[in-house]
Amino acid sequence: MVVTWRAAALMAVGMVPVVVVPSLGTVLLWFLVVLAACGADVALAASPRRVAVQRRVPASVRLRSPARSELVVTNVSGRRLRAVVRDAWPPSAGAQPAPAGAGRGATGPAPGGVGRYRVDLPDGESARLTTTLVPTRRGDRVAGGVTIRTSGPLGLAGRQVTLPVPGRLRVLPEFASRKHLPSRLARLREMDGRAAVQIRGEGTEFDSLREYVVGDDVRSIDWRATARRRDVVVRTWRPERDRRVLIVLDTGRTSAARVGGTGEGAGGIGAPRLDASIEAALLLSALAGRAGDRVELLAFDRAVRSRVAGAAGPRLMPAMAEALATVDPVLLETDWPGIVGQVRARMSQRALVVLLTALDPAVVEAGLLPVVDQLARDHQVVVASVADEEVAALRVGRDTVAEVYDAAAAARGDLERTAVTTMLRRYGAEVVEALPDDLAPRLADTYLALKAAGRL
Amino acid sequence: MTTTTEPPMIIGDATTAGSRARSRWRRARWPLSVVGILMLAVVFLAVSRPPSSGVPYAPDNADEDGARAVARVLGSRGVDVTYVRSVEDAVRAAGPGDTLLITPNPSVFAPEQVDALSGTEADLVLLAPEYDLLSAATDAGVDSYPSWEDGVYEPACDAEVAEATGPLALQTGLETSAEGVVLCWVSADGVGAYARVEQNRRSVTVIHDGTLLRNDTVLEEGNAALALWSLGENERLVWMVPDPFDLSTGQEDPEPATQLSVVLPPGSGPAAGLLLLVAAFLALWRGRRLGPLVTEDLPVLVRSAETTRGRGRLYRASRARGHAAAGLRAAAADRMAKRLGLARSSDAATVVDAVVAATNRPTEQVAYLLYGPPPADDAALTELARHLDTLESEVHRP
Repeated sequence: MVVTWRAAALMAVGMVPVVVVPSLGTVLLWFLVVLAACGADVALAASPRRVAVQRRVPASVRLRSPARSELVVTNVSGRRLRAVVRDAWPPSAGAQPAPAGAGRGATGPAPGGVGRYRVDLPDGESARLTTTLVPTRRGDRVAGGVTIRTSGPLGLAGRQVTLPVPGRLRVLPEFASRKHLPSRLARLREMDGRAAVQIRGEGTEFDSLREYVVGDDVRSIDWRATARRRDVVVRTWRPERDRRVLIVLDTGRTSAARVGGTGEGAGGIGAPRLDASIEAALLLSALAGRAGDRVELLAFDRAVRSRVAGAAGPRLMPAMAEALATVDPVLLETDWPGIVGQVRARMSQRALVVLLTALDPAVVEAGLLPVVDQLARDHQVVVASVADEEVAALRVGRDTVAEVYDAAAAARGDLERTAVTTMLRRYGAEVVEALPDDLAPRLADTYLALKAAGRL
Repeated sequence: MTTTTEPPMIIGDATTAGSRARSRWRRARWPLSVVGILMLAVVFLAVSRPPSSGVPYAPDNADEDGARAVARVLGSRGVDVTYVRSVEDAVRAAGPGDTLLITPNPSVFAPEQVDALSGTEADLVLLAPEYDLLSAATDAGVDSYPSWEDGVYEPACDAEVAEATGPLALQTGLETSAEGVVLCWVSADGVGAYARVEQNRRSVTVIHDGTLLRNDTVLEEGNAALALWSLGENERLVWMVPDPFDLSTGQEDPEPATQLSVVLPPGSGPAAGLLLLVAAFLALWRGRRLGPLVTEDLPVLVRSAETTRGRGRLYRASRARGHAAAGLRAAAADRMAKRLGLARSSDAATVVDAVVAATNRPTEQVAYLLYGPPPADDAALTELARHLDTLESEVHRP
């Protein structure tokens, strides 16, 4: 039971009889008239419970890409349906204001907020109401109910109900770092077919023989093959294939801290460290998947939050995006011995283990450092961490005394981080630390360098 | 690709009018029963307690500071008691041959009100009157003084009331210098508790102490007799308990604009009621939300740099200039050593020598900057940080 502004207006019209016959009885009588009109309107309004509603949502969408949530509203009430329908989504689903005149039967978007539509349907007809969603946050966005507010023929009053219509939109990671993928793939191709001497390494594999062209290193001439043919033939090499890459995503409490967002128009709150780690993981897996390596993923804090194993070829990237979509930081200390156990259980042979975590000196000293040697003994370990540009800005502040103290704190933090990095390198781990936007390409470069050197 | 299953078609929320009514009743029954019990309690209290006002000296107040006892006795003796609160009502009700009682005023009368009250033709009985009213009513024949003397006084005057009443235990404070004023119950200082002035067509009785009417003290000594004598003289008694917020004067109002009913056109009341109902409809219209809010888990909003900022604030709060300077120096030395290709394990002398070679600065200066004593104050710390920046900018790869 709802009333509209028309009921209030009708009540105000009662001023005319009150002026003619100024008594409280007139007011009471007019009030009863308005109540009766509203009651009749409610009785004549179509029942919102006799409206069939269907919500169609795409299964998944990338962060900051548009998706369409469609409501199909069918009038089965036996009466004419005049209603306002609201397609409710949480704020971070990013419902956009609808363009006017969307859908048959709908006379356009209703005022009062996004996702609201005015609907005027004869009995048995349907309308399709489309809301454009541009999600601003990763993860599953679960839609709210569909609210239908019908009104009677007079438009004075009506009825309202909120129907639990299911709808879920999985928001996949943005993978903004895919813009770095073509250049890295080009570098990967360059490594293909390069003469062995230029990148002499234990891991490079023999690829094929081809004719000598001017500029090839004479030391790569295969004399035996040359002897069988009339042309001079050189051996070519290609980077090793079918190596195993395990990306471990630390989803513990240090991954929840927000970085970035300090620049102009960046929104001001930045994004969790985890999001930059996810970007790096996606770029690395795309690159390694194209390079023919077998990529696995593990998201872990004190338990396995998400995992990808056994996906290859075209199925790899959808599986990665799906697995990383719902990974959220957990406010717990990461269980590093547990991670070592997981890695050991899943990697029987030598592999590249990429630990995407935060180089927080105190946390690393207590967690990662005691166990990194166990990992580095069997595998090639890369520790990748997201740096904070805000700390970089603090480092150079000299204007006030407070800024100098902050700079001193930042300098002290740098020293501790350098010490931790040195310790990790001493155990044989590679350390990559970069700002959120640079982490993915830097990690890809590290991977390419390791591959070129045959250290996988 | 993913196989899309057809989403379900939802019709209604599986409730009927009956089930909705039941669930509403289930939700509302506890609040409703609490409200019902409260209302029952209020009704019971209202019925079980006799009507009694809380106004001091009111004729319907049965409390200690009320005066219902005297009013009841007067009523049973055939005196018609009219209870008024405003000056306007008092002036209108009190005609010639009536008695007008004015109980002690918690605030003050305006000059117009004093004129109106003293100008009535009824007999006046003033209890503890304020100075303006007293002098206006008695033509300045009686003065009153505040007094705190307690004692029992004999009437000591030849008035009918004095003989009937006998000794009194009231405070005294009335004094007269005029002819024709009867002063009774006079203390040793010559001030009385009771004064009576006969004027042209009426009498004015002044009683310095109002407590003689109160329910708790009316039975002491001769209080009751004095009260009945003074108030029961005429058939009609107008009992005025001044209202502190009363501004009426009982005279023709010289400025009609101050009267609300005169300013507003007739029918304003019903119109206001109508507007109230319009407002109620507007509130109902705006108050109903189109469906509930959709909730969302809030993300963690802790900036990564907060640990660094917190550390800087700790340094500052504890004035740890030594720590801060050591951090700045070590970081600068570390960067310069890296740039000059020195090993991380190089000792201080090696670093200083390399920097001196790169910058052509005096050795002492470089050593002081990189390994000197901690700065003495914040200004020195800032200065050191700037010098380190300058030094670092001068160091280039050899």
